Amino acid sequence: MLLPSLLAAEAGGRGRFETDAGTIAEALRALPVADLLLDERGELRPLVNVYVDGIDVREREGLETRLDGPEKIRVLAAIAGGWL
Amino acid sequence: MSRELLVGTRKGLFVLRDGTVEGPLLTGWQIYHAIRDRRDGALYAASNHFVYGATVHRSSDDGQTWERAEELGLPEESGLKLNATWHVERGPGSELWLGGDPGVLFRSDDGGTTFEPIAGLVEHPTRDRWQPGAGGMCCHSIQIADGKLYAAISAAGSFRSEDGGESWTPINQGVAADFFPDNPFPEVGQCVHKLLAHPAREGRLWQQNHCGVYRSDDHGDTWERLEGNGLPSGFGFPIALDPADPDVAYVVPEEGAENRVTCDGRLGVYRTGDGGANWTLEETGLPDRAWLAVMREGMAFDDTRVYLGMQSGSVFARGEDGAWSEVARDLPPILSVEVGDWP
Repeated sequence: MLLPSLLAAEAGGRGRFETDAGTIAEALRALPVADLLLDERGELRPLVNVYVDGIDVREREGLETRLDGPEKIRVLAAIAGGWL
Repeated sequence: MSRELLVGTRKGLFVLRDGTVEGPLLTGWQIYHAIRDRRDGALYAASNHFVYGATVHRSSDDGQTWERAEELGLPEESGLKLNATWHVERGPGSELWLGGDPGVLFRSDDGGTTFEPIAGLVEHPTRDRWQPGAGGMCCHSIQIADGKLYAAISAAGSFRSEDGGESWTPINQGVAADFFPDNPFPEVGQCVHKLLAHPAREGRLWQQNHCGVYRSDDHGDTWERLEGNGLPSGFGFPIALDPADPDVAYVVPEEGAENRVTCDGRLGVYRTGDGGANWTLEETGLPDRAWLAVMREGMAFDDTRVYLGMQSGSVFARGEDGAWSEVARDLPPILSVEVGDWP
């Protein structure tokens, strides 16, 4: 699993994690930055995108997307241009 | 101990010490407010990110490393979700208070590792009459004085607790809500922008409101509106006090709700020395061709100086001679300034 720089800083400087989780939800919940990816109801924050082998999990089964083992998971902040 | 100024910006935290600017710390986070806890020297920041949400960061090594509070949550049955963290305040004991959006208050008793929501505000019987202001329904002011706890929320009004946060009494009598023309003096719903308790005069509160500047001398039971006496406008966001003189206050009026820039095309700080009966413009050292804005947490004070952080990225300080000077510039848009003591 690959994290962007701000999340890596929040994870103590670590941007790469291995996982043997069965679903994306399990994989994200095991990260030390899970609270920044998932809201207090356990849902993926609206501007957090998670890709499994290049495909947005929202185009698959969302947090219930199954993992078989060799996938590359990438977390990215959504493009959100503007005044911020 | 050395005096420092903690400057929260849209792009991290900066620390001003002895004429130097350190930072940014917490790169990428919007720092709505930050404090240094005199008890142990820890730094706390109410930090927000437009992608990753709202949290509190704590550093026990002067900002070199930071720990994030465990997930901040609101009771599921409340139907509320935390939108932002706004203000951190030390309690008289070991506790730490945190104000947030939507009109919520948290308490930590373990040095900021965990925060518990205060049910008395989450479940307040008037909550269905609260509404968010332009900045959200933010609990931005937390004051502890004379054994009482005060919280102010936009646009819900001001509240007082005399039992440590268990129950809350609205204290908005005499405070206008001109945006409710059919009921301009409701029990709740006032848009308080900043509330401060004077540290030395029991019962004296000040507030800068959407609809005027106010003073109370009875713990908020009643309020007196203080304008039409030198202030060019009653609209503004921050307010600062003088800890040695309860009759002194400073505000930065803006044109009005529909045009939120400093009045008369200049940066003007208005001071009262008589409890708000009269206000005079302070202009020495402040730009006189300026259309600026200052956020509700953008003023701070200690026993000798007043500080002003602008959305333009400049920080001004008022010396004991009444003159202002720019002490930092070219920072990201400033959201908050707070005085700390650097161990």
